[in-house]
Amino acid sequence: MLPVLVVHGGAGTIPKELVEMYSEGVRVAVRAGFAILQEGRSAMDAVVEAVTLLENNPVYNAGCGSVLNEHGNVEMDALVMDGRTLANGAVSAVRRIANAAQLARLVMEKTSHVCLTGEGASKFARAMGVPEVPEESLITDRSRKRWEKNLAPGANPVENQMGSKGTVGAVAVDSEGNVACATSTGGMLNKMEGRVGDSACVGCGGYADNRVGAVSPTGHGEAIMKVTLSRLILFHMEQGKSAQEASDEALAYMWERVQGLAGVVVVDPRGGWAARFNSLQMAWAAAQGQQLHYGVYRGEDLIQPLQDPDHHQH
Amino acid sequence: MAGYETNIGRAPVFQDAAWSAGRFLRRDHSLPAEPEEDVLYQGDGAALHSMQSTMKAVLVVHGGAWAIPDCMSESSVGGVKAATLGGFQVLKRGGTALDAVETAVRALEDDPVFDAGHGSVLNACGEVELDAIIMDGRTLATGAVSSVRNIAHPVTLARAVMEQTDHVMLTDRGANLFADSLGIATVTNEVLVTEYEREEWRKQQKYSVGVKNLFNSQCDHDTVGAVALDSHGDIACATSTGGIRNKMVGRVGDSPIIGKSLSEAVDSSLQYMAERVNGGGGVIAVSRAGDWTAQFTTERMAWAAMEGDVLSYGLNPKEVFQETLPDFQRVVPQHQS
Repeated sequence: MLPVLVVHGGAGTIPKELVEMYSEGVRVAVRAGFAILQEGRSAMDAVVEAVTLLENNPVYNAGCGSVLNEHGNVEMDALVMDGRTLANGAVSAVRRIANAAQLARLVMEKTSHVCLTGEGASKFARAMGVPEVPEESLITDRSRKRWEKNLAPGANPVENQMGSKGTVGAVAVDSEGNVACATSTGGMLNKMEGRVGDSACVGCGGYADNRVGAVSPTGHGEAIMKVTLSRLILFHMEQGKSAQEASDEALAYMWERVQGLAGVVVVDPRGGWAARFNSLQMAWAAAQGQQLHYGVYRGEDLIQPLQDPDHHQH
Repeated sequence: MAGYETNIGRAPVFQDAAWSAGRFLRRDHSLPAEPEEDVLYQGDGAALHSMQSTMKAVLVVHGGAWAIPDCMSESSVGGVKAATLGGFQVLKRGGTALDAVETAVRALEDDPVFDAGHGSVLNACGEVELDAIIMDGRTLATGAVSSVRNIAHPVTLARAVMEQTDHVMLTDRGANLFADSLGIATVTNEVLVTEYEREEWRKQQKYSVGVKNLFNSQCDHDTVGAVALDSHGDIACATSTGGIRNKMVGRVGDSPIIGKSLSEAVDSSLQYMAERVNGGGGVIAVSRAGDWTAQFTTERMAWAAMEGDVLSYGLNPKEVFQETLPDFQRVVPQHQS
């Protein structure tokens, strides 16, 4: 049944005291994005809206709340893709921008390129009149503390990244059957300056094709890139597998070949969807018809009515 | 390791038979691709045995898919042939596919006729910004750099990202900081820029052509790249460019090729790209079994491939020239240490 929106707030191990906040944020985002689809607007509008809300929520590792690189700076990657035309836009290692996914959409719509990086992305943002924000406005106390902790000798950045928080993303199919994806991230804690993860790379950190479906992943970016996870899932769907089967198969392959942990949200043009992960947890939420599905732990699929009277209180 | 050498010494008859079959099949890429192995192995039990006991090594190189002007066609073909011979030398010594593709791409980066390293196109500000990627098919280890400046061999820097960091890609200033930390020498922008390119850039500045025109220009250079299969059966690829920013090269595994021959797979992918996004391009590919192909939908692509003692190369669609180089050791410039 169309339309459908599925969002995630990162795969990894979520500290117990934060589980409720992680789950609440994705539900708020999926409701806001789904309202756009119900108005008859496009899948692209819906995924960008949902990701913008997650970027603005300091709980997640994207926009405000992004993790810090080795020098204590915020550098973000983001990607959007439109399944109608295969148009896509991305930014990598961009600084001092509140909403990297919106900037990625501008790259898609206003340039003949797909990805702008570093200083070039900032120049483009200025040219488009996108406000530059102070770096402090993107940094939370929590991310600063985590960064300091990771400077300690013997800290394991990969493990700690998975233990902290992840990328955000959304996939949608609108009432006309068009699919889109958006992904945004602050990347990996304590990463080297200039590190680009999967979230800026088409086919890795997202892919959308009206003929097959749309994917947004989260998790260990380097592993996702090595198997081009998003395109790999769509390849399995092209071969006739369901969104869930394709996701499980690709995640298993990634684990087997490069021992990567990750999670994905997936839709197909007929309204089939999946939220799958091989990490311990992934905060996700999906809206379809009158129902909101959500979960954090493996195997969890909680359902509440979309018109939840409670959600306005938060 | 020595297996490759042994194979050559042991089965010269098989080699001849195989090459002639291969030649026939490859001359016309539009032929429905019969399972090539069947033809190669048919009716020669001894050959089949020797083929299974050692892997055949292959290297394929391209110098960019675009409308190469006549004045550059000879130097383009010469450049890909030289790079192929250099890279194949590595394979012939029993070296890895990874070393071979890096060696070949470094040679193309050094050659000013190609848009990579020395000879790269300039960005809107008149600077050279380089992208490169390398991937090791054994482990799927990958390294890449994007928008890096003042580096003569971005492919080698990409390999350092793969081997010496936890990351896959470094961009912009961060990539240069990493190069500095390794003590990789920088070169000035001027060293990377050819007089030809500076003149082209001035023309385009003067006429202030829109970005779109610039991008679609028939005189756009393009990427260089190499793929290889070594005698251990391992595959690697490397790509380097001054032209397209931050492009993640999709992994070419065997999974997309199930039920199709390699050239069918590449052909249908190029057709799909043309149909869906109106994109022209070129691809070189090698399979684990040692099949290889070089195809493009642009006007021209300079490519060369080396397998055994046969060097194949071409520039125009459906064109394959071949040279047998029995004295391979003698014709290859001994520039590698």
